[in-house]
Amino acid sequence: MNRYVTALVILLLVLPVTLIAYRVISLDYPLMPAAPEKVWQLSLKAHVADTNGKTRALIAIPSQKHGTTLIEEKLTEGPLDFGIQAENRNRYAMWSGTSGPKGAEVSYIATLMVRSSYSPPAPSELGPYPEGLDDSGQKLAEKLVSNTLRLPPTARAMTIASAFSGAPDIYVYSPEDIERWAAIKKRIGAANALSALFRAAGMHALTAQGLALEENITSETISWIEVWTGGSWLVIEPETGMATQRPSNLLPLARGKASVVSSPNGTISDLRWSLSREVITQWGVQHERIKSSERFLNRWSLFRLPAKFQDTFRILILVPLGALIICILRNIIGLPTFGIFMPVLMALAFRNTGLLYGIGIFAAVLLIGYAVRNSMDKLRLLLVPRLSVILTLVVGCFIIFALVGNELGLREFMAVGLLPFVILTLTIERFHIILEEQGAREGLRTAAGSVAVAAGAYGIIQFDPLQITFFVYPELLLVVMAGQILIGRYTGYRMMELLRFRQLGNNNADKGV
Amino acid sequence: MLIKAYKTLAGAGALGINSRNSEYIMRCNPRSLFPLVDNKAMTKQLAVKYNIPTPELYHVIEHHGDISRIEKTMENRNEFVVKPARGAGGQGIILIKDRTAEGLVTSSDRLLSTAGLHFHISEILSGIYSLSGLDDAAIIEALIHPDSVFASVSYSGVPDIRIVVYRGVPVISMVRLPTKASDGKANLHRGAIAAGIDISRGVTLSAVHHSSVVTRHPDTGNCVSGIEVPFWKEMLLIAAKAFDMTGLGYIGVDMVIDRSQGPVMLELNARPGLGIQLANQAGLRTRLNSVDKTPPDIFADPQTRIEWAMRTFGKE
Repeated sequence: MNRYVTALVILLLVLPVTLIAYRVISLDYPLMPAAPEKVWQLSLKAHVADTNGKTRALIAIPSQKHGTTLIEEKLTEGPLDFGIQAENRNRYAMWSGTSGPKGAEVSYIATLMVRSSYSPPAPSELGPYPEGLDDSGQKLAEKLVSNTLRLPPTARAMTIASAFSGAPDIYVYSPEDIERWAAIKKRIGAANALSALFRAAGMHALTAQGLALEENITSETISWIEVWTGGSWLVIEPETGMATQRPSNLLPLARGKASVVSSPNGTISDLRWSLSREVITQWGVQHERIKSSERFLNRWSLFRLPAKFQDTFRILILVPLGALIICILRNIIGLPTFGIFMPVLMALAFRNTGLLYGIGIFAAVLLIGYAVRNSMDKLRLLLVPRLSVILTLVVGCFIIFALVGNELGLREFMAVGLLPFVILTLTIERFHIILEEQGAREGLRTAAGSVAVAAGAYGIIQFDPLQITFFVYPELLLVVMAGQILIGRYTGYRMMELLRFRQLGNNNADKGV
Repeated sequence: MLIKAYKTLAGAGALGINSRNSEYIMRCNPRSLFPLVDNKAMTKQLAVKYNIPTPELYHVIEHHGDISRIEKTMENRNEFVVKPARGAGGQGIILIKDRTAEGLVTSSDRLLSTAGLHFHISEILSGIYSLSGLDDAAIIEALIHPDSVFASVSYSGVPDIRIVVYRGVPVISMVRLPTKASDGKANLHRGAIAAGIDISRGVTLSAVHHSSVVTRHPDTGNCVSGIEVPFWKEMLLIAAKAFDMTGLGYIGVDMVIDRSQGPVMLELNARPGLGIQLANQAGLRTRLNSVDKTPPDIFADPQTRIEWAMRTFGKE
């Protein structure tokens, strides 16, 4: 191969690979942007009523500071004012105002992602002991954990959790201590008691309330304890003492001493949380990731375009790939098509009509056009006026299709206006000439080839994971270009030629025998 | 299986279309010289300069306004050919063999009214048959009366001989024989058959119909092989000269043998098709490679080139 071509192709491959590597490593882009991520939809519904004619109700909602990525938040309009209040690391949805005699329904919907690897670090200083634990209780706690202090943090936390969640081992601890601790546990609650022990062992622990991430509707939140083990939070189930390393199956709502629901004025009833797995679009996820960053490549990302124009580019960015497919089908396979890029334009139009309807309408218009073109031969019209007549006919066909579609309620028929009518006009003329000059066989072969290529290109343009990959990494177009250049240098046989010239091969083989 | 088929074909020295385009046409045929062969009017002028016989030119029509005027100048001619100057694949050519009270009679015995002829010429001028779709000119020239040598293996029409010339050396050749299916036209797409011609002896070999090898003409049933082509050396010389005339390194030279005039050149083709390999049951690449390996002294003049070709390209 030509040295310049090789150098060019290598350049066209190295450049995007470098850019993608930079984006993945430095800007934290996903390596596989199309891979599914766990996206959840959380919806909260509650009934809020006034006391003394006024309402102020707060309900904890997910916070980015808990390691949750919020993609979208929505709330329904109602008689109450809505606000979001941040408290420490927690966020609260706050409804205030006058709800009227019957009260008001409030709701909040969020689309979110919980990142398992994300750990907000703990404060460097240890907090106070839980409330309700007196000095002697603190002394007892310190005594009980004294034998675990030599252990590394994770092992220490797990030993404490498993030793005191059920009945403590009577061979390790004295019966009086066990009894006294049981009394304290009963008074301040299992979660607080466990927190106190972690505090006594010199570890930062906090109680958290939230929801289990599973498809569910519930009116109750669950609570757990998080212990900082130096690099991450260990989640401990207070009743059983079970520890899990990564809280990816939990959605924290309120961490620390705060409560999930509070209503200084008014009452909250019928509180319902529901969680469902969302089939949300990777588009939203990427958009969120890139929107808030000021890095150069992020600012120059296609995601920064207004949504209306993004749609155009989602499609446009795959058209070169469609062209590459045409290169392959024509120069390596050897399929005949009407015109060079006609199949890609057809594929673009199929997006609106759907593949089957698109091909059907295309075939119908082609046949009608062909019939008219054939009978028009007798009129002896000159080329340009003749093509204009066919163009008019094509547009007329579109109008009839749209009106019939409207009558039958077929949206696909009405979307017909986006079929490339100029291409269709020229295709009718080409089809007529091929049929006339080279016979029906060649004409049908070319039509079948065009449809096959258009369907293939359509499949690619419509393939969502590919769309998003190219949208996130537009530099992949250079790879496409490299592919096109390589095909441009392909001087081997086309697959169809293997068939066409098979006699030559046979002949030679015979000679060999 | 695909790989095996590929290797068999490569072993047979077959030339594929990708390779023809990038390694021969793009390399040997400078774009600037294409008009010389794409425009038959220019080719004709050039041929006259190089003493290459062509059918006598009656008229070139370039404007729609001139169409009606041809009646007068053509009124005492009963035989002529109308063709687009930039046509491709034999499209848009009408052969007129007689004139009756009702109108003109075409080679396939169809009646063509004067209005029909005008419409056809006007279509040609609008560029409908032209390679680029641009405006074109119509050529009116003498009708060829084909020599009877191929009469037994053709169904009306004019059999034409194609010689592919690489760097001035004739490398492969065939004769295209019209059939009933091809409407008397020597066009392989439309069902004409093609018989290879042995370069060294000027004798026809087996033929190809669409993509399959045949030994007999589908309409006349006569054997197509073993026919000795008259004026063979003259035709090779015309072909070889076409290179000096145009400067194009890879061309197809189309000729017919006229009963009285002998071989005449009809047109040149800067993108000759590859079906000729099937007609000869021989790969073209092998022959092109042997031309490239030849010492440069054989390229001195057309005579030495055809002598070398006749020594080299024989069917063993």
